[in-house]
Amino acid sequence: MSAGVSSGSGARGDTSQDFELNIASIIDCFTVLITFMLASASFISIGVLDAGISAGGSTANAAKPPSVTLSILLKPDKDIEVKISGKTNLTVKLPAKNKDWDFDALTAHLAADKAKWSDLAGVTLTAENDVQYKEVVRSMETIRKTFPAVLLGGF
Amino acid sequence: MKKKRRLQNDEMALQITSMADIFTILLVFLLKSFATSAVSITPEKGMMIPQAFLAGSTEEALKVQISETTVSVEGNPVTTLTTFKFPTSDLQTNGTSKTLSAGLEKERKRQLIIAQANPSVKVDSRIIIVADQRAPYSTIKSVLASAAVNGYTDFKLAVVKGD
Repeated sequence: MSAGVSSGSGARGDTSQDFELNIASIIDCFTVLITFMLASASFISIGVLDAGISAGGSTANAAKPPSVTLSILLKPDKDIEVKISGKTNLTVKLPAKNKDWDFDALTAHLAADKAKWSDLAGVTLTAENDVQYKEVVRSMETIRKTFPAVLLGGF
Repeated sequence: MKKKRRLQNDEMALQITSMADIFTILLVFLLKSFATSAVSITPEKGMMIPQAFLAGSTEEALKVQISETTVSVEGNPVTTLTTFKFPTSDLQTNGTSKTLSAGLEKERKRQLIIAQANPSVKVDSRIIIVADQRAPYSTIKSVLASAAVNGYTDFKLAVVKGD
């Protein structure tokens, strides 16, 4: 990289001042900076799922409790049990589909419940002891599409 | 002879302008993608955090990490696990873990002392659970129960944000 300053032609001929800009030190700085940033950069982004009090919203709900409470139980054999208690007591079993949770049936069931019970704001999700945490998170994410407030229960 | 001398005097100038350009672009890209989150969650080696697409942003809170062999509170191991399970001697009748409860109680007391000394600081009920995706729900339940007993009722589950 070169830069030049020309002051025109004088009595002594060409007086232009060409010089070489030394960028080797800049490259050194860049190399150190890039190495540091590559070492400290995180390429995964971590987020959080609310599963406690704040899952119900930042403001307190009305004192009146909902007409029904909805709880979902995950079983190790991938069956889902949806339990409604309160004004109506009902337990619906959603069997596994292709050896996996039948989330389509669950979503449809939850949508129907939401339409039927307009004051129903949240769901309590629980699982049997052997169910993996990964499956709980998966289910939680599916439920949150219908009911944004999902509380973890069973303890 | 003359030609040979001329060849010896030729200096090879390495063109590093393009290299500087590449480095500048790389540096700008890395600075842009550099995570500036206030919360730093560093999972243990070998830990697999579950993935979720509807995750919210992280907030500063007490962190409890559940790996295959340990449960840590703010990075300090408090309980030893055997393939994700609490030893039966550590579990109490209400499902809580003795050692984890002690660890959480210690953190709670520390928060209370800070809150007493500084009225602008409030006691926080938030807790971030950083758990391995293979952990059984029984372990998660024990951790949540231990946290709830010590006043940490606002559970936040740490997940890897999906694309």
